[in-house]
Amino acid sequence: MLSLLEAQARFADALLGRAGAPGPGMVVYRSNVFGNWAGALAGAYPIVRKIVGEEFFGGLASAYARAHPSASGDLNQYGERLPEFVASFSHTQDLPYLPDVARMEWLAHRAYYAADAGSFGLEGLDESSRLALTPACALLASEWPLERIWTVHQDDYEGGIDVDLGAGPDRILVHRPKWRAQVRSLAPGDYRFLNCARQGTALGEALEAAVAEDPGFDASLALARWVDAGVVTL
Amino acid sequence: MRAAHYREFLAARPALGWVEVHSENYFGAGGYDRHVLERVRADYAVSLHGVGLGLGSAEGFSAAHLARLADLAAWIEPAFVSEHLCWSAAQDRHFNDLLPLPFSREALELVTKRIQLTQDALRRQVLVENISAYVDAAGSEMQEGEFLAELARRTGCGVLLDVNNLYVNQVNLGRQALETIRALPTDCVEEIHLAGHLPRGELLIDHHGDRVAGAVWRLYAAALERFGPIPTLIEWDTDIPPLEVLLEEAMKARDALIA
Repeated sequence: MLSLLEAQARFADALLGRAGAPGPGMVVYRSNVFGNWAGALAGAYPIVRKIVGEEFFGGLASAYARAHPSASGDLNQYGERLPEFVASFSHTQDLPYLPDVARMEWLAHRAYYAADAGSFGLEGLDESSRLALTPACALLASEWPLERIWTVHQDDYEGGIDVDLGAGPDRILVHRPKWRAQVRSLAPGDYRFLNCARQGTALGEALEAAVAEDPGFDASLALARWVDAGVVTL
Repeated sequence: MRAAHYREFLAARPALGWVEVHSENYFGAGGYDRHVLERVRADYAVSLHGVGLGLGSAEGFSAAHLARLADLAAWIEPAFVSEHLCWSAAQDRHFNDLLPLPFSREALELVTKRIQLTQDALRRQVLVENISAYVDAAGSEMQEGEFLAELARRTGCGVLLDVNNLYVNQVNLGRQALETIRALPTDCVEEIHLAGHLPRGELLIDHHGDRVAGAVWRLYAAALERFGPIPTLIEWDTDIPPLEVLLEEAMKARDALIA
């Protein structure tokens, strides 16, 4: 008799189609398993799905599942490597912005489940205080107009849907003001300032770096603004 | 409780005995799901129903997953914590599904150890649920009821008896549902699940996407006769209907319980 380990390895081979034609029961498992993975991927990447279409996304999900096995019993962890996968997937090479859209969506997906930000005031803060971003916040710099792509693909968006892909580079903040993840474009100085906060730079140094990057950066308002927005903390 | 019903549930606060959620949906560190669960927990008992631990995976059992579950249980103080009698990982891959185990002595040894590990990590009893299956895992040396009874005897775990799964397996695999019910000691069943299924070809698919079938209600009556009035949950996970439809099914189960 096969050991449990061997029997489960054989079952896995049959499920993945490595062991000849499946019987009717195995077909059900295959459909459930690939369906669960595709559903999880669609949940994390709704904009990628809208861009490529539902049918194509089904094929993409199936190819991804074979290339990057699920590593967790928690399906909300599934799909982290889709950005690099679509970057090298031969059928999406005509969509050069897709990997960055996927990066943005994964950050939003993580933001949704991130720890809630604690409240924090400005008392006792000085130039040497080391800053940080709150848990749901992330930054991404891209050649593509990510904020615009995000906005026009929201379910409740009602404006025009044209996106100028040549609009130039975009630097975005992904954050979670309340419960939904949001994306906003940042001026170069704000991006630099928040990137310094992400790296734990001291406040004085972060403000100097942001001003050097962007003469329009208002160092007197930036800290209060980003603390109020729940983005920067200590 | 599924996310589709969050708003309506919080607004209506239906009169229910308790609320069950999938444990993994609340593994995040924060965010909306945990916020809702915390609010629900303030007014209701909550049970945690895990779908991802894979008690019977020969390899790939995750200590990190167990630790997340233990953290969640410590936070929400659930009435029950349940997992499935299944495996789910092999060859460095998680299948995110409930895959069938043989009822063999080897599987019994392994699952006994895993339940002990889980109960030690959670510092409480867990319930183990019988799954539906579409393929009979080769190598069984005993019946399902005997296997579950022995697990309960060895570990002190309880049984979460899924009556729909018993029926689905009777059709799909020829296992006798009533025999499984009779093989279980009368004091080991702590919770019952009911759900809808879907015929596809010769098989019944356990899709949790419809009302409970008549044959399953009849088996449920037989289970209540043997085990007494056991807390019962309606599972509805696909094609999720309006909350009122789900509540109607729950009331039907409650009527049977107090009959």
